Amino acid sequence: MYWLSNVDLSSLKIENWDGEYTVFQPESGKTHFLNEMGLKILLILDQSPATLGTLCQELSEYFTLLPDAKFSGQIMKTLQRYEALGLVSSVTENT
Amino acid sequence: MADSGMHHHQLLLDALVQPEVLTRYSSQQWELLLRVARRARLLGYLAVVLERKGLLDSIPVRAANLLRSSLIQARKQQQSVSWELNRVRWALNEHKVPVIVLKGMAYLLQALPNAPGRLFADLDLLVTKEDLEQIEFSLLDKGWKHHALSDYDERYYREWSHEIPALIHPERGVEVDVHHTLTSPLGKLKLDPAPFREAAVRVEEGLYMLSPEDMVLHCAINLFQNNELADDLRHLLDFHEMVLFFSNQEPVFQQKLMERANQLGLGRPLFYGLYFSRLLLLSTVSDGLEQQLNQQPGWLVRQIMHFCVPLALLPLHPDQPSKMAACARMWLYWRSHWLRMPLYRLLPHLAYKFYRSIFPEKVAHSGQVR
Amino acid sequence: MNVGQLSQETFRTLLTTSGLRVKTGPFNLSIQTRFPRLIDQLHQMYAHYALVNEAEIVEFHVRVTSMRSIRRPLTRLIQFEVDGRSPFPPVPAEQALATLEWGINLAIAMRINHLLLFHSAAVERNGHVLLLPAWPGSGKTTLCTALIHRGYRLFSDEFGLMDPQSSEFFPLPRLMPLKNQSIQVIRDYFPEAVLGPEIPGTLKGTVAHMRPSQESIERSDESAKARWIVFPKWSAGANLSLESLPQSEAFLLLASNAFNYEVLGETAFGAVTSLVRNCECRKLVYSDFDNALKALDALTDG
Repeated sequence: MYWLSNVDLSSLKIENWDGEYTVFQPESGKTHFLNEMGLKILLILDQSPATLGTLCQELSEYFTLLPDAKFSGQIMKTLQRYEALGLVSSVTENT
Repeated sequence: MADSGMHHHQLLLDALVQPEVLTRYSSQQWELLLRVARRARLLGYLAVVLERKGLLDSIPVRAANLLRSSLIQARKQQQSVSWELNRVRWALNEHKVPVIVLKGMAYLLQALPNAPGRLFADLDLLVTKEDLEQIEFSLLDKGWKHHALSDYDERYYREWSHEIPALIHPERGVEVDVHHTLTSPLGKLKLDPAPFREAAVRVEEGLYMLSPEDMVLHCAINLFQNNELADDLRHLLDFHEMVLFFSNQEPVFQQKLMERANQLGLGRPLFYGLYFSRLLLLSTVSDGLEQQLNQQPGWLVRQIMHFCVPLALLPLHPDQPSKMAACARMWLYWRSHWLRMPLYRLLPHLAYKFYRSIFPEKVAHSGQVR
Repeated sequence: MNVGQLSQETFRTLLTTSGLRVKTGPFNLSIQTRFPRLIDQLHQMYAHYALVNEAEIVEFHVRVTSMRSIRRPLTRLIQFEVDGRSPFPPVPAEQALATLEWGINLAIAMRINHLLLFHSAAVERNGHVLLLPAWPGSGKTTLCTALIHRGYRLFSDEFGLMDPQSSEFFPLPRLMPLKNQSIQVIRDYFPEAVLGPEIPGTLKGTVAHMRPSQESIERSDESAKARWIVFPKWSAGANLSLESLPQSEAFLLLASNAFNYEVLGETAFGAVTSLVRNCECRKLVYSDFDNALKALDALTDG
C-alpha cells in the first residue's frame, strides 16, 4: 500500500507561526493545525507517492531521528487521520 | 390577492418574478420583504439574483448586508454538502457502490441557475435496497453515527418510512439521508424506483443524478406528495426554474416530461407543479401541457387546492398570521399524512407526535435545534 | 431622540403596539411586549438608545409574549420570539429581560455573516480595540465591566464584530449580564453602576444586567482597529501575570470560539491571520481587579 496527496498543495492556504502551521483546506472549508512534521508529510507526498516505509525514512533523515516501530506507528496514525480529512489517500497495489 | 392582508405575499412574489422592482422598494417594503423572504428561506436566492444583475449595491445597505449574510451561509452549506458527498464516496469506494444524488446537491451538480443561493443542509442519496445495508455499515465503520433515536422513531424510520435513520459524521454535522425509494412504501402512490434508477445520468464513475425529467418529477412529488407544503414556496421555485432551464436546453423537454409523467403515473403532482408555477410565479409554460396529463384533479379538488395551496406555500405574515392560512395549512398537513400512510398507522403516529410535543423530555431527543 | 426622552406612556404604547424601534450599534431592533414588568425594566435599561424612524430598515423583530402551558399550569411563563418564531422553550416570567437579551444575541449570531463575529468582549482605549476573548473561566464580562468604569469605551461584552475586509471593529453596546458572585463584586467596586433586577434561576444562575454608559452608546458608530488580544483568566489567590501568548495559540482560540468562523471559510482564515499578526497577544491571570487594571493600562498606554 502506498500513500499519495489528495489535494493540490498550492490550493491550500498555509500560514507559518514559528514552526507551527495553520492550513486552510478550501474543498472542505476546514482549518487544520499542524506542526513541522505534519506539514512535511504533506510536502513529501506532494512530491511523489510513497509507502509508509519510504515516508518514515525521509522524515527521519530530515528531522534526524531514529526510526523505530513506534515512530512508524505514529506516522501511520497521522496518515489515517489525513485520509479521513481528505488530505491524502491510500492506494492498494494490484487493483 | 389584492387585499391588504396578503400584501406581504405580493411583495415576495413581485421580487421573485421581476427582481428589478427591488431597487424601487421603500425601506418599509424592504423590512417586511426581508422577514417574509427569511421565512421562505429565499434570502440567498434574492441575493444571487441581485448580484447577477449587479444590483446588490443599488438597494439599502441594511438589506444588502442581510442578503449577503444569507448568501454566505448558503455557500457554506453547499461546500459542506459537496464535501460530505466527497467523503461518502471515499467511504464507499472500496465497495464500488453506485449512488444517485437527489435534491439540493443534485441541483448543484446539474448547475441549475437557482442552486447558488439555495439553503440546504442535507445530502440525499438514492441507492438500491440491496446496497442499503452495506452503505449503512460502511458509513458507520468510517465514523458516521446515527441520530440518537427513540425506539419509536427507529421503528418509524425502518419499517414505516422509506429511509434508514439519518447518518451524521460528528466532525462535520451534515445529515446524510440514504433512501431506497422516492416515496413512502406504505403511501397510496406506489412508485417503483427502478425506472428512475435506470434513467439516471452519470456524473462520474459511481455517481449519478436523476434524468432531467425525473428530477422535475421528483421535485413535484416531494412538493405535492411528501410534504405539508407549509412555507414551501422555494420548492415550487425549484420546480419552476428547473422546467425553464431544461426547456431552454432541449426544445422537446416539456413533451418528454409530460410523457414520462404519464408513463410513471405521476400526472397529478406534475399537474399541480405546472398549475401553481403559472398561478404564483407567472410561468409561461402553456396550459396545453397539463391537458395532456392523465390523472388531472377533478373540478372540486382543483378549487380546494387553488384556494389552499398558495396560502400554505407563501409565508405567513410574521406579525399577523392569517387564520385562513392556518386552516389551509392544517388541511394540507392532514392531506400529506393521509397520502403517505394508511389511516390505521396515521392515527397512532399523529397521536404520538402530539404527545411528544407536550412532553418532549420524556422521549429521546432526535432533532437538532436550528 | 433617545428612549429616555419618551414619556412612560408613549414608551408603553410603542412596546405594546407597533414595536419600540431602537438602534444598537450597526443593527436596528424592534421590540414588542405587553408584559408590564419588562416594560418598566426596559424603560430604565434602554434609556440611552436612539430611536429609529420608519424610514430606516430594522433587521431584528423580537417579541416577548405571555403564554400558558398545559404542563405547568401554575407558573406564569413568557416566550421569546424572533419574527414570530421561538428559538427557546418558555421560561418563568421573571426571566423575561434575560431571555430577551439572550434571544437578541442568538438572533445576531445566527443571522449575521457579513461580519466576522468573535465570541469576545471588546473595549477601546487610545483609539484601538482591546479584545478579551471568551474561554472557560475567563470572566470576560466582569473584567469588561471593570474596564469601562476606568475610562475604556465599551464595544461589546459578547461580540467582537469585525469587518473581514477592512479589519475594523464595530461597537455593539448592549446590556451586560453579570452572573452570580460578579454581581456583588461589581456593586462593591463600582457603586455608580446602573444594574437591572437580579434574576435568579436562569440557565446561568443569577443574572443582573449592567446598563452601558450613555457615551458608549452615543459613540457606537465610531469603529476602530484591534491592537491587543488578551485572554483573561480569573483564578482565586493567583499572582498577576500578563505573559505573551504564542500567536498560533491565539489563532486557535479565536477561531474555535468565533460564532461564524467556519461559515466565512477562507475569508475568516485570512481575517484571523491578519488580526493575530497585527496584534499583541497576551494571557492574563489575575485575582485582584486593581492589579489587572493597572497591567492592562500599562499594556494599552503605548
